[in-house]
Amino acid sequence: MEQLERVLETRELNVSMGPQHPATHGVLRLVLDIDGETVVKVTPYVGYLHRGIEKLGESLSYFQALPLTDRMDYVSSMTNNIGYVNAVERLFGIEAPERARFIRTMVGEMARIANHLLWLATHALDIGAMTVFLYCFREREWILELFEKICGARLTVTYPRIGGVRNDVSQEFLDSLYKFTEEFPTRIPEYETLIDKNRIWLKRTVGIGVISAEEAVNWGLTGPTLRGSGVPYDVRKYMPYDAYDKVEFDVPIGTEGDTYDRYRCRMMEFRQSNNIIRQCIEKLPPGPVMADAPKFTLQPKDKMFPITHPTKKHAFYIDEKVCKGCGMCARACPAKAIFGEKKKPHKINQELCLSCANCYVTCKFKALKIVPGGKGLSEEKLRELAAAPLPEEIKNAAGHLVEHFTFVKRGPRAPEGELYVATEVPKGELGFYFVSDGSGKPYRMRIRAPSFIHAGVLPRLCVGHLVADVIANIGTIDLVLGECDR
Amino acid sequence: MTAKELVNKIFFVEILKAMALTLSRMFSHAVTIQYPTERRPIAPGFRGQHALAKNPEGKAKCVGCGLCAAICPSQCIQIFREKGKVARYEVEVLRCIFCGFCVEACPYGAIVLTENFEYSNYSKEALYMTRENLLSNWDKYMAGKKGEDYFKKFWRPMSEDFGTPQSQAVFRGRR
Ligand code: SF4
Ligand code: SF4
Ligand code: SF4
Ligand code: SF4
Repeated sequence: MEQLERVLETRELNVSMGPQHPATHGVLRLVLDIDGETVVKVTPYVGYLHRGIEKLGESLSYFQALPLTDRMDYVSSMTNNIGYVNAVERLFGIEAPERARFIRTMVGEMARIANHLLWLATHALDIGAMTVFLYCFREREWILELFEKICGARLTVTYPRIGGVRNDVSQEFLDSLYKFTEEFPTRIPEYETLIDKNRIWLKRTVGIGVISAEEAVNWGLTGPTLRGSGVPYDVRKYMPYDAYDKVEFDVPIGTEGDTYDRYRCRMMEFRQSNNIIRQCIEKLPPGPVMADAPKFTLQPKDKMFPITHPTKKHAFYIDEKVCKGCGMCARACPAKAIFGEKKKPHKINQELCLSCANCYVTCKFKALKIVPGGKGLSEEKLRELAAAPLPEEIKNAAGHLVEHFTFVKRGPRAPEGELYVATEVPKGELGFYFVSDGSGKPYRMRIRAPSFIHAGVLPRLCVGHLVADVIANIGTIDLVLGECDR
Repeated sequence: MTAKELVNKIFFVEILKAMALTLSRMFSHAVTIQYPTERRPIAPGFRGQHALAKNPEGKAKCVGCGLCAAICPSQCIQIFREKGKVARYEVEVLRCIFCGFCVEACPYGAIVLTENFEYSNYSKEALYMTRENLLSNWDKYMAGKKGEDYFKKFWRPMSEDFGTPQSQAVFRGRR
């Protein structure tokens, strides 16, 4: 028996850190082989937060899948949304208008600040500096409140849309955001006073988790984690999207590639992001916030008003002479109010009809007629009125209505092909790779999540250091498991 | 090590500086609020629990077209119709992700998201919002001017989003 053979000796210990460890930023599990206090081997286990976002995306239309991306990196959902809409826009071949691009840049940088604030707060907390945590959350709350003002949600924003943004920014929002950008630079020195030169902080970060530039590139690191090693790679600079080519900013880099340099990089990015927001506000051009691309965006609501906001409910009537009896309308009718034999003219049971227009938008043969304000009239009267030409405004509205219903039920159609679009999220390079088979849903949606790739480098960073430094290393690569596990 | 560094090291200068900062913060206003007794103002357009809109005559606007159910990414809206009326309209709040797409998809402006976020409950049944609950939510949170404003500002897109409206927010200079 092995147990009996055991004698007093020192041996390596196998410890499981996480998935419910307060310092592993969620549900990361690291299996550590430790020799005394020194880490010999690290094996990360990911997947505890797997929700199948990539697969879910394949079962939803391009429009519907947007809120899923909020739930990836939930501390900077805005940048995920921006990454997603940029990729989808490129796939569709449409472009958001200038103003929308500036707004997106602006809110994206707000998310970057909020993300780095949360990172700094928890990183410092993990290492043992409690006060920074409170200071960072004070400013983060400010940003979240601004998010709430603009889109009604604080964390899962779902604010950008394919072809623009959901709604225009209000003057009040713009003013308070500008006030934030004036105030925020005075807050950064506060964090720095607390930890920048603090001897404990330096002991815990300088020379910990060193990775050279070449190695960092080979490991596929991106974002501040890479820039700490001195590689000035930033998607915003190299492949500008949105309005990043119209604003000026620097890409701060480190030299040593240790935890302290990565910390300094992010601290500098605070100032850069703040500057970008300020420039965006100053340069914000007037103009539309949604692209004029009827097949790819929702229809303007007010254009449908003549049909959707009538003084008296409209009736719908099938013209027997035109109807081919294909039965499409009967299938689309949610109230099952349409009946008829195959290949014979169908009929609407006006008693059951909800006046919802589903049949109208479905019929390909234009057999369905709108009878304005005709709800409750007799069959003969409807037949008589249906023959009359429609008023111009109702005709226009009907066009938009058909587009709207088709968009909502089927989603926008993408051309065939595949593409990869990368954006710079606070964590690194977030890429969306789409394979489209020409339908309304992606055939394959693959997400290149920076956190996932950064989790892979943990063994490289931790081996040889003490157990306590594992915590510092998890913090420094800015891991969010929601994104890592997707 | 220079003399200055030595002095810094011996006298814990950086730590004293940090402590001075925290000490000075003791005399500023608290930024936290005591939640159940104190409440933060909720921005208009907040995406909380649903409500079914009523028209000025007090009747439900929803016609039961099913577009909201069609676009809902978590498929948590169920509609049952009977005799030309919406008999049951149910939102399973437990599954809702509050994306607000149902509001955007509804061509009739019949559904809104209200500012109510305090609806936790011990029973699952209470979190299946029925048509009656949703209609009473409208009276509670959206009646009058509030509802009108909601549709004006947060029921998007409108045609002004595709063009350049008269008054648009722009930078007005430092103030
Ligand atoms: S308007 Fe709606 S309920 Fe009436 S017949 Fe057409 S699809 Fe059915
Ligand atoms: S979809 Fe048009 S053609 Fe087909 S059965 Fe209905 S009304 Fe007739
Ligand atoms: S809420 Fe709107 S979209 Fe949903 S069924 Fe009613 S009218 Fe249709
Ligand atoms: S808010 Fe989103 S998830 Fe909730 S019911 Fe509406 S569409 Fe569905």
